[in-house]
Amino acid sequence: MFDFVSHGKKFLLISGIFLVISILALSIFGLKLGIDFKGGSILQVAYPGEKPVNSEIIEQLSPLDLGEINIRSTGTSSIILRFVEVTEDVHQQILNNLGDVQEERYESVGPVIGRDASRKARYAIILSLIAIILYVTWAFRKLSRVLKKGESWRYGIGATIALAHDVLILLGFFAILGYFKGVEINVYFVTAILTVLGYSVNDTIVIYDRIRENFLLHRSKDMIGTINLSLNETITRSLNTSLTTIFVLLAIYLFGGVSTQNFILAMMVGIVTGTWSSIAIASQFLLFKRKK
Amino acid sequence: MNRNKLWTTFVLIIAFTLLALLIDIPQLPEWVPGHQWFSNNKVHLGLDLQGGTQLTYRTDTSDIPSGQKVSAVEGARDVIERRVNIFGVTESIIQTAKLENEWNLIIQLPGIEDVHSAVNMIGETPILEFKEQAPPHELSQSEKDAIAEYNSQAQERAQDILEKALASDADFSLLAQEYSEGPGSKTNGGDLGWFPKGMMIPEFEKAVFEDLIVGQITPELVTTNIGYHIIKKTDEKIDDQGEITEVMASHILFITQSEEMIRQNGQWQYTGLTGKQLQRASVTFSSQGGEPEVSLEFDKEGAKLFGEITGRNINKPVAIFLDNYPLSIPVVREKITSGQAVISGDFKLTEAKELARRLSAGALPVPIKLVGQQNIGPSLGKISVEKSVIAGLLGFLLVAIFMIGFYKWRGLLAIVALSIYALIVLALYKLIPVTLTLAGVAGFIISLGMAVDANILIFERIKDERRLGKPLSVAIDDGFRHAWTAIRDGNITTLIVCFILYQFGSGLVRGFGLTLGIGVLLSMLTAIVVTRTFLRITTR
Repeated sequence: MFDFVSHGKKFLLISGIFLVISILALSIFGLKLGIDFKGGSILQVAYPGEKPVNSEIIEQLSPLDLGEINIRSTGTSSIILRFVEVTEDVHQQILNNLGDVQEERYESVGPVIGRDASRKARYAIILSLIAIILYVTWAFRKLSRVLKKGESWRYGIGATIALAHDVLILLGFFAILGYFKGVEINVYFVTAILTVLGYSVNDTIVIYDRIRENFLLHRSKDMIGTINLSLNETITRSLNTSLTTIFVLLAIYLFGGVSTQNFILAMMVGIVTGTWSSIAIASQFLLFKRKK
Repeated sequence: MNRNKLWTTFVLIIAFTLLALLIDIPQLPEWVPGHQWFSNNKVHLGLDLQGGTQLTYRTDTSDIPSGQKVSAVEGARDVIERRVNIFGVTESIIQTAKLENEWNLIIQLPGIEDVHSAVNMIGETPILEFKEQAPPHELSQSEKDAIAEYNSQAQERAQDILEKALASDADFSLLAQEYSEGPGSKTNGGDLGWFPKGMMIPEFEKAVFEDLIVGQITPELVTTNIGYHIIKKTDEKIDDQGEITEVMASHILFITQSEEMIRQNGQWQYTGLTGKQLQRASVTFSSQGGEPEVSLEFDKEGAKLFGEITGRNINKPVAIFLDNYPLSIPVVREKITSGQAVISGDFKLTEAKELARRLSAGALPVPIKLVGQQNIGPSLGKISVEKSVIAGLLGFLLVAIFMIGFYKWRGLLAIVALSIYALIVLALYKLIPVTLTLAGVAGFIISLGMAVDANILIFERIKDERRLGKPLSVAIDDGFRHAWTAIRDGNITTLIVCFILYQFGSGLVRGFGLTLGIGVLLSMLTAIVVTRTFLRITTR
């Protein structure tokens, strides 16, 4: 049997390092918001022949007041342009100026919609966290009756701290990606965060469920022993489930097309941290400041 | 559970699987009974998979009383829906969404690549509103300030032009054409024609009859209650007594605002009668002059409203606003209950015809403005679908290899159960129907992961129970029972997240929440019913 509890400090140290890096990345680089949140336009066009160089494209578009134009290549013959929000007439002008191109994708988002999207995203994440604390506390209410009053809140809060850990690391990871690779945060990313929340709490609950069961079964006062036992009993399942999910996600990441790649990457990161935090954070929190 | 019950469940599972399979297969051969119904169920692909256009319009409901905003916006949605259908877009989706006290219309047009013509088609939709006069109100300080500001600017402009007009080489009529705000006189170079005494405003009259000689321009601006005038006297007629009887003059007018005017003008208020209640519009000719007019015919609700509006505004004006502009302001003579109205104006026949055509195709109850659009070419969508399908199958294969390698024959059973799960979910997507987007596909795949997880939980528990020395059939039952609480709690929390996603998200996110939610519910079901039944049957 592996003694998870006595390695708890090391686990916390590792998580702590990642958290510090994430918070630093978030406060120094910040998240790179996509047009979903701040408004603007994305235009993807394919050239039938040779792609022109960027400076040529910028020159073609210079008569139009598009603010800062960001050009990125995608695939062999396509480019993605980013610029400010424009009217439909200007959009048609742009296509005209670019010459013989095929429009593959065009998105233009007004700032109001963007503001609304980011407000909704924040609400959704906070609301999910609250709902999860409440549900977990309720689901583990039996422990409050058997052990002492308020015990089940420890589980609700423990699960949520683990979730906050996952979300922070995921945000930090994308802040770094945003800074170095220009990866932007869009609505899909929020979806990924919420899914990771669901997945990670599922993982925590499976371990908590086993701890609950072992408590009720053995009526043991040995907190450390029970937690160690439960972690050992659930570790195979935790790893197997994470592995199978990562398999599927990896397949989509590698072969599923560019448009979902960052979304899938976010989920993969989230699943790894979710599995980790269930063991390293959520389970250890049950012992936090507890009288021996 | 006894043997009979077990086999009944098994047969039911097989029956459901076959049914799902029939729904899933895109085109059934003709000998299958009911093949038409089965093949009629289609997967609805979202814009990102199929290609198409999404347009987001903001509606301006600022002058609509709060209680009626929703119905006005819904009216706009209905009108646009009708219009889009006329255009021949199948499976268009038009939704309303509230954003920060504003209502947005989200219009999805699958398969439409030509955004420009789509935008034009919708933008061409006229906005028709019937408005009545609001009771006069006291002006606020900011309104008074705005008037003063406007007037001082008008004076500056007028002073500028006056200097130009007084220059020796100035062409007065050219200046009038360019700068005059005088309605009517502007086009003919500010010329007002001949007029006798007593026709004009006193200040104006004093200038032309007393101060000016023919050919002279007023050296200073003439201020009247309309605004600032620069006047040029061009000719005069003198009678036997040497009195001037008629004058010919031109002017350049800069209109000012007065508090009185603001109180009375622009105070048109929403009546609830709009393009929404319009049934038909056609060109008719007036009974007197035979001039072209546009006749409107309201539906039942509109006829009732129009009766009420005309009833309470007898001898008062009612304005017909088209595209935010008061097109005609007739004075009501009597209550009209027939539900018919006439827009008369200085129409040319072609203009009247064009207006009638536009109105017939639907008129909007509120002004709209394009604030966002998305356009995805069909090739990009197709690549996405193909890639996603291949990736999904590959992922499934990997999971299958892993499960069979790790759990042997039980893993095989789990894969069969998962396949059944996938078939049923797909059939549900077709039946509900769920609009599948890329995010939705991802949701489905994650739910597949959750389904695998339920199976792994159960198998691990069965292993544990076996270690305790229980016989296999008992171990299976206990394993299920013990795994259930974890499966339940884990899945319910995911369902909570799905619910929140569905409530808060729009479009893509909503689809993801829905597919994941359906998947999670079904994965619980397949894990506890299908896997369990299979395990039991094979252990006997």
